[in-house]
Amino acid sequence: MALFQRFEAAIDAGIGRRRLGYALLALIIVYLLWFPNDTSQSNYAKTVFISGFFYAIMASSWALLAGIAGQFSFGHMAFMGIGAYVAGLVARDGLAFLTAESISSVGAIVIGTVVAGLVGLVIGMLLLRLRAAYLALFTIAFSELFRIVMLTEYDYTGGSNGLSLRPLLQIADVETARQVEYYLMFALLIVCLLAMYWVANSQVGLFLRAMREDEDAASALGVNVVRYKILVFVFTSMIVGLAGAIFYSDIGSERIIPEQLEVLQMSLIIAYAVIGGMESLIGAAAGAFISRYLLEATREVVITYPFGLTTADGSNAFVWEPGAWRYALFGFVMVLTLRFMRNGLLYPFITWFSGRDLVMKETVAKRESDEDHAARQGADDE
Amino acid sequence: MSEINLELNSIVMRFGGNQAVDHVSFRIVKPELIGMIGPNGAGKTTLTNVMSGMLKPTNGTIYLNGRRIDGHPPYDVVRAGLGRTFQITRALGRMTVLENMLVPGLAIRPRANRAEIEARAHEILDLLTIDHLTNELSRALSGGQRKLLELGRLLMLDPAVIILDEPFAGVHPRLQETIYSYIHRVHEDGKAIILISHNMGAVFELSQRLLVLNNGALIADGAPQAVKNDPAVIEAYLGEDE
Ligand SMILES: Nc1ncnc2c1ncn2[C@@H]1O[C@H](COP(=O)(O)OP(=O)(O)OP(=O)(O)O)[C@@H](O)[C@H]1O
Ligand SMILES: [Mg+2]
Repeated sequence: MALFQRFEAAIDAGIGRRRLGYALLALIIVYLLWFPNDTSQSNYAKTVFISGFFYAIMASSWALLAGIAGQFSFGHMAFMGIGAYVAGLVARDGLAFLTAESISSVGAIVIGTVVAGLVGLVIGMLLLRLRAAYLALFTIAFSELFRIVMLTEYDYTGGSNGLSLRPLLQIADVETARQVEYYLMFALLIVCLLAMYWVANSQVGLFLRAMREDEDAASALGVNVVRYKILVFVFTSMIVGLAGAIFYSDIGSERIIPEQLEVLQMSLIIAYAVIGGMESLIGAAAGAFISRYLLEATREVVITYPFGLTTADGSNAFVWEPGAWRYALFGFVMVLTLRFMRNGLLYPFITWFSGRDLVMKETVAKRESDEDHAARQGADDE
Repeated sequence: MSEINLELNSIVMRFGGNQAVDHVSFRIVKPELIGMIGPNGAGKTTLTNVMSGMLKPTNGTIYLNGRRIDGHPPYDVVRAGLGRTFQITRALGRMTVLENMLVPGLAIRPRANRAEIEARAHEILDLLTIDHLTNELSRALSGGQRKLLELGRLLMLDPAVIILDEPFAGVHPRLQETIYSYIHRVHEDGKAIILISHNMGAVFELSQRLLVLNNGALIADGAPQAVKNDPAVIEAYLGEDE
């Protein structure tokens, strides 16, 4: 502890926490930029990172919607699905007077994003009067309906086989394709995070947090709660619509399937955000990325026995395939997080680097000295 | 001085079979300091909620400076110039005291210079003697400090008509003094204040006009001394402890 305090003091006196935090962030970004060029990494590892970026967008935008604005929606995956399905259908079948040929894949992605935003607008308006629990129920119902329609409209959507979107980029070489896909999703994550931070740090973010804390009080303080509720719904719906459309169309490697829209998948997004810290965009994003990575890494757990020991059948390691138990364990971690670290496992790091705990210490110290002062005055009075 | 013309016409608020506000009418046309009293459950808070837009009245109309405001959402009503505090304080808990002040400041003047609004917030916190809590999360405040914060947020809104629902309840005498001087100051600024309180001493000392609610009905409206001697009021309310 003493060592840590000395380290803390040295940092505060030297580079400063905030700058150290940015430096660390820059290092991570550099590493992630370099990663696909690491020849020792398999294509599979790259795929894990790519989906990590995708889920980081999902979790951080859910953090904005639920953690910052207080709108506990379970419809986030559905909006992602709207973006992906609409983009796919439009690119294949056209839209109204536009033929499929006249719509580029970029055009299809834009249309998917806009439709996700429009549906977000309608849902946002319907949900205006609903309080937390009802909002959750309504959005679960909405996303289940959407999933079932996608599942049953087999002729259009391919049912449970899913729909493959027109690729944004056609690259024959698998290696290069993965690399391009990697950078595309990484760039998208950065852009989405920047856009969301811009909103969260603006006065709109202030109003969203006020709304989360107490909607009636915010309204009585002049915050147009109707406008901001709709705004945050539309904004996050468009972000995930865009992410879905791009993720499933980029190099055409994955199909959007209704299974992705199941409540379980939505719950995973929530778990990622909660574990990382649902009131912090970067926390939720990191939570998603790290969780995805760990979930992949623990598909098969191999523990080599020490000292070259072997079992009777000659194996020198214990192999455990946790299968679905990973998710159970993961759920358990989420429950523990909610119970003991409501702000997520990354919160202590984020506050430390942002220096927010410095401000708090300062005010506590000030208050204590005020109390000393008051106590002394009280003694004088007697 | 801002224009003041608040007019309640026969306001009724019914919850199921319970008539919480029963045909209440009154007008405020100048920057008066008005006391509003009545037994528990008389309908004072409900009337406040109706006036501030949190409840839509079952019947009746409210005009503020010529604009009809009944049934309008609170954020519209407050822009029209009517603000209120909450009897049970509603601090934005996980936001700092300063942020609690900035929300109303920026909400009604979205294009204003943020630094200016922050400066104003600091000024008000100073006036209310809670400037040392500026960076504290508001959930860390004591009950009395929360009352002061409610008053501070209201000043950021700068409404022409202010309703204070029980500003003294549960507040230490020294803080009560702060609230007293706050009320005087805001009143001198040319605002109309409706002061709801069970603290008779404060109400009679501060008010220039008194409204008495009983069972949802307005049973008296006039100068405090006249109201005090009104037999109906004595029977309904003041008589109880005399
Ligand atoms: N949301 C509600 N639903 C049903 N009844 C309500 C509601 N709000 C208030 N009431 C009823 O309306 C009546 C008036 O309550 P109100 O809170 O306005 O009284 P009050 O004069 O503010 O009392 P106090 O002095 O205790 O604060 C009470 O009978 C109360 O039970
Ligand atoms: Mg009351």
